[in-house]
Amino acid sequence: MYGGLHAPDALPSEGALVELARSFTPRVQAFGATPVLMDLAGLGRVYKTSDELGNAIARAAVARALQANVAIAPSRVAALVLARACPGLTLVAPGQEAAALAPLPLECLELPQAHAALLLRWGLRTLGELQALPSHGLFDRLGAAGPRLQRLACGEDEAPLVPTLTPESFATTLELEWPIDGLEPLSFLLARVLQPLCENLTGRGCKAAALEIELRLEDGSRHVQHLKPAAPSAEPRTWRTLALLQLEADPPQTAIEALTLRATPTPARFVQFSLLDPAQPSPEKLAETLARLIAWTRDGKGGAPRLLDSHRPDAFVVETYAPEPAVVDPRALAPSPRLALRAFRPPRPAVVRTNGGFPAFLSAGGIGGPVADRAGPWRSSGGWWDVAWSREEWDIALASGGLYRIFRDRLRDCWFVEGELD
Amino acid sequence: MPAAPLKTALEELLKTRRLQLEQPPLRGEEPRPLVRSGIAPLDNLIRGFPRGQLSEISGTASSGRTGVALSLLARASAAGVLVAWIDPADRFDPASAAACGAVLERLLWLRGRPLADSLSAAGTLLGAGLFEAIVLDFAAAAPAELRRLPGSAWIRLQRRVACTRTALLLLASEHVATGPGGARVELQAARPRWSGNGPGRLLRGLDATLAAGRHAPTRASFTLHAL
Repeated sequence: MYGGLHAPDALPSEGALVELARSFTPRVQAFGATPVLMDLAGLGRVYKTSDELGNAIARAAVARALQANVAIAPSRVAALVLARACPGLTLVAPGQEAAALAPLPLECLELPQAHAALLLRWGLRTLGELQALPSHGLFDRLGAAGPRLQRLACGEDEAPLVPTLTPESFATTLELEWPIDGLEPLSFLLARVLQPLCENLTGRGCKAAALEIELRLEDGSRHVQHLKPAAPSAEPRTWRTLALLQLEADPPQTAIEALTLRATPTPARFVQFSLLDPAQPSPEKLAETLARLIAWTRDGKGGAPRLLDSHRPDAFVVETYAPEPAVVDPRALAPSPRLALRAFRPPRPAVVRTNGGFPAFLSAGGIGGPVADRAGPWRSSGGWWDVAWSREEWDIALASGGLYRIFRDRLRDCWFVEGELD
Repeated sequence: MPAAPLKTALEELLKTRRLQLEQPPLRGEEPRPLVRSGIAPLDNLIRGFPRGQLSEISGTASSGRTGVALSLLARASAAGVLVAWIDPADRFDPASAAACGAVLERLLWLRGRPLADSLSAAGTLLGAGLFEAIVLDFAAAAPAELRRLPGSAWIRLQRRVACTRTALLLLASEHVATGPGGARVELQAARPRWSGNGPGRLLRGLDATLAAGRHAPTRASFTLHAL
C-alpha cells in the first residue's frame, strides 16, 4: 500500500511533509516540497487497518500544524492523484483504484500539454471517460503513449517508488578528557578522527572536497580552519598533513578541549588510464606538495601564471596550480627557442642621456654605460578608461655587454629598465 | 593475419605514435635518461640534461641562459609533464615563456623568497616526484650571496635529486655546483643580431656560444630568436 501526502497551502518549511512521512516510514519519495509518496509496506503490524493508519497520519499532520491531504491506495499513481485532488483523508481498497479515480478531472493526472489538449478536443473531461476508451483505438491515435495514459488513469503504476535519500553529513566530534596543548598531540588525535571519517567517505563512493576543522579552546573560543586542496581526497594521511601545515601557520592560542571535523563530500573521481597518453600526476600528491609550499603559494606568490588579454606589459595573474590531465597532440609544432626577458619588478628607474632622440648612455643602479646599439622606439599605450599607460620602448645593447629593454614613460617623462634580454 | 605479426605490428604502431623522441613515458615504461633542451647544437653536444642529476647553465648577463632553460621547460611542458621554475628574485617573465611554447598551466612558478628557502622548495618538489624538470633560477643572485650558501646544501640537493627522475637545472652567473653526472653548460658573451637601419630597426635575436663538458669543453653556437 502507498500513502500520498499533499499540502495545498504553503508549508512552514520545505521539508515539513518529508519529515512527517519519515516519521512513519523511511521509504519516502519527495516530488519537491509537495506531494510526498510513502511506501507503507510493513506497517500492518502497527496499524491493523488502512483507516487506522490514515487517521494516524492525519493526526500527526495536525500535531505538526500542517494542512495536508492524505490518501492511502494500493498504487503509487492512485495515492498521488487522490492526495492532490481530494481534501482530507481518502482511502482506497485494493482493486478499487480505477473506480476511485474515475470521477476526477483529467487535470489531476498532469498530462503533457499536447495530449491534454487533444483529449479535451475529443470531449473527455474525467479520468473515467479516458478509462472507458478502447485501448487499440488509443494506440492507433496516440501511439504507445495512449495506452500508457489509460493505465495511469486506471491507477496502474508504471515505475516503482524511488526513495529520496536523506543528505548525509560527514562530521565527527572528539571531546577530550583534558585539554591538550601543541600540535604534536593534536596530530595523533587528527589521525584517530580522520581514519573513520575517510573510511565513511570511501564507503559512500565519495571524497572530501573540503574539510572544516573546528577546535573548541579552553577559553571558550573556537578556532576554525578551512582546508580546500586543489583535488578532493579521501586519504587520511593527506588531510592530516594539510591540517598540520595549516595549523602550524595559524596555531590556536590556548589549549584544545574538543575537535570537530566536517567534510564536504563530492563523488569520487574515477580515472580511466590510457595506454597512449602520458601518466598523470596524483592530485592528492600534488595537493600535499603545494600545501608544504604554503609559504610560497600564499598571497599569490606561487602558482601557475596566466597571461591576461591585455597589451599592458607584465599583464598576468598567478592562479592556483591545478593542471588538467594533459592531452598531447603529437602533430603540434615543437616549441622554438627564443630570447627571454628577465623582468625587473618593479621596473628599475633609469637615467638615460639621449643623442638626437636616441638613447646614448644608460645609468640604472648597477647597470650602465654607453649604448652601443639600439632598436626602437616602439610606442604602445592603453588603459585610458582606467589607469592609463603610455610608453616608448627600446632594445639596447650596452658597450660593456648586456642587452636590455628600456622604456620611457610618456605620461611621466621618465625612463625605466624593464628587464634584461637573456 | 597470424597473431604474432599482428602483435608486433600493434606494438610498432604504439611506438611510432610517439612522434617526438622525448615524449613522456607511457604507463609502466621507464623514461629516457636525458631531457633535451630543444636547441639542436646543444642537444647534439651533450645529448640532453640527465635525469636524477643537478646540471648547471652559467653565463654572464644576456648570454642566453634563460632562453636555454625556458626552451627546455617549454619542450617538457608541451609534452604534457609538469615543470617548475623557482625564482627567488622574481625575474621570470610569463610572456616570454608562452612565446617559447611553454604550457603555463603546467608550470609551477615559485617567486620572491630567499635563496635558502628556494633550496628547501626544490627539495620539496623533488620529494613529490611529480615534476619532470625543475629550474633553480639563481642568475640574479650575487656571487657573494651564492658563496654564503653552505656547500653541503648542494650535496644534499644532489642526493635528493638522485632518487628521482627529475632533471634539476641550476641557472647562475658563474659556476656554482653540478652533480657528478650532471651537464655543465657555460654560455659565453653573445652577439645581438639586428636587422634594418633607421626607425624600423629590430632586434632579431642573439647569437650565443656555449661550452659544455667538464674536462675538455666543446663549443657550439646557436641563435635565440627575438621574434
